[in-house]
Amino acid sequence: MKLHLPPRVSPKTFDAMLTAAAGVVGKDWVMASDADRDAYSDVYAPGSSEEWPAGAAIAPASVEEVRAIVRLANEHKTPLWPVSRGKNLGYGTAAPRLQGSIVLDLGRMNKVLELDSALAYCVIEPGVGFFDLYEHIQREKAPLWLSVPGNAWGSVLGNALEHGIGYTSYGLHARNLCGIEAVLPDGDLMRTGMGAMTNNPAFHLFPMSYGPTFDLAFSQSNLGIVTKAGLWLQPAPETSLELVWDIPAVDDIGWVIDTIAPLKISGLIDQNVFIPSWLGKMVLKGQRKDFWDKPGAIPEARVEELLKEHKLGYWQVALRFYGDEGVVKAKAAVVKAAMERNLKTPPAEHWWHPGDYIHGVEITMGIPSAVPLQMSDWIGGRGAHMGFSPVVPATGKHVLDQMHRSRKIIADFDVDFYASFTIGGRFANNVNMLMYDRDNAEEVVKMRRLFDALITETAKAGYAEYRTHLGWMDPVMDTFDFNGHALRRFGEKVKNALDPNGIVAPGKQGIWPAAYAAQRAKNSGGKA
Amino acid sequence: MKRLILAAGLLASAAAALPPGPPPGPPPPYQVRGEAPAGDRLKPGGDGKVLFQVHCGYCHLAGGMGTNLLTKQRMMMGETPDKGLLANRTDLTADYVKSVVRMGKGAMPAQTKVDVTDAELDAVSKYLGKAG
Repeated sequence: MKLHLPPRVSPKTFDAMLTAAAGVVGKDWVMASDADRDAYSDVYAPGSSEEWPAGAAIAPASVEEVRAIVRLANEHKTPLWPVSRGKNLGYGTAAPRLQGSIVLDLGRMNKVLELDSALAYCVIEPGVGFFDLYEHIQREKAPLWLSVPGNAWGSVLGNALEHGIGYTSYGLHARNLCGIEAVLPDGDLMRTGMGAMTNNPAFHLFPMSYGPTFDLAFSQSNLGIVTKAGLWLQPAPETSLELVWDIPAVDDIGWVIDTIAPLKISGLIDQNVFIPSWLGKMVLKGQRKDFWDKPGAIPEARVEELLKEHKLGYWQVALRFYGDEGVVKAKAAVVKAAMERNLKTPPAEHWWHPGDYIHGVEITMGIPSAVPLQMSDWIGGRGAHMGFSPVVPATGKHVLDQMHRSRKIIADFDVDFYASFTIGGRFANNVNMLMYDRDNAEEVVKMRRLFDALITETAKAGYAEYRTHLGWMDPVMDTFDFNGHALRRFGEKVKNALDPNGIVAPGKQGIWPAAYAAQRAKNSGGKA
Repeated sequence: MKRLILAAGLLASAAAALPPGPPPGPPPPYQVRGEAPAGDRLKPGGDGKVLFQVHCGYCHLAGGMGTNLLTKQRMMMGETPDKGLLANRTDLTADYVKSVVRMGKGAMPAQTKVDVTDAELDAVSKYLGKAG
């Protein structure tokens, strides 16, 4: 990819920044060739990845190097786009919101700094991936389990900071963060919570501060660059039991939510309960053309046939319990009785005891895997996906309302419907996966318009997304409209105070510093 | 040996008639990668096998995403399922490996120099590039 410079930065200044940065990190860790820019582009971009082009990438190895780069970026007025490992697939990968931003790749900062089995937490740097942390725990023989997202190729902290979701009792990943160290936009260094006191041993144990609590101010945020954080881990359970129900019909999701959510809220179910629609299982069985070889959405009649042929329900609930066997049995009995009121077929039961076989794609047992990314092969070609991810209250009424609306919009665009609901407590995260071939221009245009329609119509109904792709960060922020977009006004006041040059991740989640206010809504939305 | 070849042949020919999808049975367990060597990642002469595990192992060990997709592709080409593992391939050249890693291919994204440095990629491509 050719060089796109940031606004108001001359080629000479940009080069001067890179030369100065090489003096900090070494010339090999300043990456600015066309091939490097390609490697830091959005591999799943809906359309040309040159809409969100990185100017270069710099990879520091320590907090001091991060601070030095931030100071240099302020001097040269070159915006930075920090990424932990840059694997935010479906939401922009490593690519920046503002063209020409220099990706600050923290992948080299990959140390597990502490692992504490007694208090069940670790302290890690942003470059630590789920595979790295899992293997570290195995090598240490620590009795701790991870919570992993569907694609575990990426960073543990990056995923938590982006509000990623996993499918264990520790599935709300941002909630596991405790005690953050961050480099501020002027190069200053701060620690949150108890860590604000030098050498306080409760840094990563007490989730609140004395005074305002800032940990999550650094999540989905451009207020600083997280250089290490504490992360709470699940103690390895004595046993585990998985109950699997195939749920026959599409509208059954209503009673399923009304059955499971109260048990989750009461604490009887610990796990984040993931309920994918049938297509979530099919995408791992082959390619779309193997099952339906015509363009346009797979018709209902064919869907019915496929469900029968592959013995699938429209939805699947795979619920897992963790802990003492007697407690697990008692909890399972309560849930089975509750489910039986609507579904007579008993669930499949899979017990696990220490030493039993665990296969490599067992996401609800915290095994990291990239296999769910196989869905990129479903469409074929340079397969890609985007997730439309609204949050709704965890009641059957809200979930059905949301599902019917997006299902109709998606059907109107003649696109396959692939949804999941994850019950995280009082809410359900609904992810609608839109899969496309990046090289099919017509399909990409359709997906972008569909994405616009989903955001607009969902907002009209009163719901919003919890996360989105670079190209829709502004439209989604627009939907948070209370009191003249008070959230955005507050965010930008804070941003301008902390980052007068607008150096750190301008435009992230629709928060634009004054220095780049003119860039708002550029390369944004379906029509761009 | 003869029985093995016969079994592999049966598997390969049966594959054409079977519906597409992963091989039957539960997926293999998590494949623990070799430990990343300490020291300067820019220094040439690393152990290609270990570096392959560390940097490519997310997807290209047994049961990985890349292995699953490649197994299907190789079987459709009439080869045995074990050829889904890059480490078992004899037709790869070092230059081809480097090009796929840096440019990406199909479902595989291009890898940055932080993902795998040029020195590490040299070692990996020598290890995988059994065809020269």
